[in-house]
Amino acid sequence: MLLRTLQRTLRPLTALPTTTTAPSLLRGLTTTPHLHNLTTTPISPITPPTPPIPQQPSIPHQTGTLNITTPTAPTTPHPSLALLTALKSQPAQYITIHIHKFPFLVTVGDLVRLPFRLKDAAVGDSLRITHASVLGSRDYTLKGSPWIDPALFTCRARVVEETSEPMRVKEKTKRRNRRIKKVKSKHRYTVLRISELVVKDAPVMAAAAAGEV
Amino acid sequence: MSFFKITLIRSGIGMTERQNGVLKSLGLRKRMKTVYHPVTPQTAGMIMKVKELLTVSEVDTPLTQKEIHEKRRPPKGFIVENPLRPEATAE
Repeated sequence: MLLRTLQRTLRPLTALPTTTTAPSLLRGLTTTPHLHNLTTTPISPITPPTPPIPQQPSIPHQTGTLNITTPTAPTTPHPSLALLTALKSQPAQYITIHIHKFPFLVTVGDLVRLPFRLKDAAVGDSLRITHASVLGSRDYTLKGSPWIDPALFTCRARVVEETSEPMRVKEKTKRRNRRIKKVKSKHRYTVLRISELVVKDAPVMAAAAAGEV
Repeated sequence: MSFFKITLIRSGIGMTERQNGVLKSLGLRKRMKTVYHPVTPQTAGMIMKVKELLTVSEVDTPLTQKEIHEKRRPPKGFIVENPLRPEATAE
């Protein structure tokens, strides 16, 4: 039922810039090459794999299942995911998580004060983040369209606090009118601590490595 | 039976009483509200009276207001995992 579309990058990066790329090409590459998230379509026994369709950003990913191809025909991961190991090997990563579509750019250990109270979670609960649009490190960025496959990362947050702002009173009145109406506000907020952010390997590479062993 | 999917694109402010009455009868209170009405000559006539304000298309199945709201709702973005409360994990 789920249709995962392949989106070609405008400038496909087939090799790391430090090794075989000519100096003239290096000038064109930025220090933070952007990868578009591409996941391989699951190959069913009946239909052949669908070819890449260049079109607008797609349906959001619903589940966390891996797109593992059939073990009889191990294929290399899509070229855009080839730099995922490089992103993973860097010392620090960040992720833009979306909670009710509000984006938060966070890394491990961050305290996030949401602009609302999370009704679903109580203090002490652990949340597993399912929707993220950008996963990056100092030199590499993985952009989802619109979301990144949840199989590529693990991000957990803990509900640390349910706090509220100080009471504020808004006085409403009109000119030359002595009647003053007072409106009280004391909004409540949920505070999260990002406890875990792990970048996983591209799914096909993990299957191939398991096949080799 | 097919249905008209009617969306109010332009507001009824400044329109005549008659046109605003038609919008009220169609159930269009606000801009960008979508309603479904069966395809009949009566409904078609109402649409023709305020056709400049609407976007209309024909569909097979109507959606209820709750279903329309659910379609617009963004994903939560998280799953609650709590070993102390297993019913939260099941959600």
